[in-house]
Amino acid sequence: MVTTYTPVTYRFTLEELNIEVEPIYKLMGFDPDDVHEPFPEMIQNELAILAPYCNIQGGYVLVEPVELQDKTIIINGVTFEVGKKVTRYLKNSQRMALFTCTAGEGISARSKQFMDNGDMLEGYITDVIGSVIVETAMDRIHNYIKNEYSLMGENTTNRYSPGYCNWSVGEQFKLFSFLPDNFCNVSLSESALMHPIKSVSGFIGLGTDVKFIEYLCDNCNSTNCIYRNLK
Amino acid sequence: MEQLYSQLADCIEFGKINQAAPYPPQFKGMPGADELTQQLLAEGASAGDILSKALIIGMEKIGVKFRENKVFVPQVLMSAKAMSTALVYLKPLFAQNGSDRKGTFIIGTVEGDLHDIGKNLVAMMVEGNGYEVIDLGTDVTAEKFMAAGKEHPDAVIGMSALLTTTMGNMEKIVREIKAAEPNRKVCIGGAPVNDAFAKKIGADSYNPDPQGVVEFLNAMAS
Ligand code: B1M
Repeated sequence: MVTTYTPVTYRFTLEELNIEVEPIYKLMGFDPDDVHEPFPEMIQNELAILAPYCNIQGGYVLVEPVELQDKTIIINGVTFEVGKKVTRYLKNSQRMALFTCTAGEGISARSKQFMDNGDMLEGYITDVIGSVIVETAMDRIHNYIKNEYSLMGENTTNRYSPGYCNWSVGEQFKLFSFLPDNFCNVSLSESALMHPIKSVSGFIGLGTDVKFIEYLCDNCNSTNCIYRNLK
Repeated sequence: MEQLYSQLADCIEFGKINQAAPYPPQFKGMPGADELTQQLLAEGASAGDILSKALIIGMEKIGVKFRENKVFVPQVLMSAKAMSTALVYLKPLFAQNGSDRKGTFIIGTVEGDLHDIGKNLVAMMVEGNGYEVIDLGTDVTAEKFMAAGKEHPDAVIGMSALLTTTMGNMEKIVREIKAAEPNRKVCIGGAPVNDAFAKKIGADSYNPDPQGVVEFLNAMAS
């Protein structure tokens, strides 16, 4: 029998997300207290005009039951090889939100246009803002889930994505098999690349006994990972 | 003249584009890459000398600082902007006298992968260090790399990949190139790539950062 899950979706405007500059500085490598012009001004100017290029949406399906083993998670007969770390972080999950979220195609197109014209710095700034937009949108959705389920006495884990913590990026195919086709306008290529580029996917665990664990960056050697010391 | 070369090298290193640019603050009101390049040419400097005595020196300094985490991508791109300003005047002269360049570098992000920032950064650093760069863009197949190789028989090929899934395509492309042209030099890079992977797939070099690529190319060219 094919199980269908009810998707929950959200849309955001750029204004609603109230993007902060600190994560933008951090993703660029800067210490937020030590950023010099022209970068702050360029970032502010770009943020001020980026709204029409955004198509920010995201959503999830809630799946249950979920069976956690030593290195795998089994959901409705599909085995996710998430590895030891991720199973540990998602321990005690009774159900899971399988999500995707995107900032839309327009931002990457704008960034590419800058680059094609030789304006690499402008293109890079737009690109980084796009990354921060999708992460901020996903923070919002994460919070909505957390608030909704806390009313029912359930806790929420941090979010975990294929491609991190030794969980293969190719496992996104299994993840996307639980989402409606072209969910939130996000699709997956043969090489497991999401389109639009500024998109994320992953799991959030829910249950009475789950714990929210900060990302354990000290145990990881990926020095410029987007999650490193960001949260 | 030496003073002008050194001033221009500083403009490249610190990203001073032209006199009107207010950045960096310590260069405010001073001539930038634009004016200094024009002045050097007017005083009879050759495009090759401007490249080797100023642009390459500035780009190398910023490349090393980037490797050492003393500066970040935006500052490197400011330098690139200053360098592009100078290259506007030099490129037509290179076209007349190709030998001013140290060699040719073909670069692309491999098939299935659309990431281009890292690849662009490498391309720009290599260009600033005196090479002609043929940028094939993203999602580049073995056929495209090989066709560009045919047009530039002495070029080194560089490939970038950002996802572990597209590293598989990188392996396929490197093997195809090496099967057709065993002597063609190929170097690879990108966040999930490492030295062991380069050895496994038969690439000649792995470099974690653009400066590494420049050093590899310099070693090949010397
Ligand atoms: C020829 O010789 C050479 C030599 C050197 C070469 C070279 C060639 N090419 C590059 N270099 C080198 O020189 C450059 C300058 O130093 C460097 O180039 P880079 O391109 O690496 O660096 C750029 C200048 C700046 N760097 C970047 O722009 C990428 C930064 C990191 C943090 C990153 C970001 C920002 C994002 N991401 Co994601 N992201 C990561 C990245 C982590 C990292 N360590 O890099 C990486 C690439 N992402 C990853 C993943 C998994 C993902 N991301 C995703 C999403 C995102 C954001 C949207 C949040 C955001 C933007 C993504 C984008 N493409 O625009 C997802 C995929 C998105 C998609 N469209 O499919 C998702 C799949 C996660 C998910 N399930 O949601 C990882 C891939 C690893 C893997 N297992 O495949 C990743 C390495 C992070 C990690 N786990 O550490 C060097 O690599």
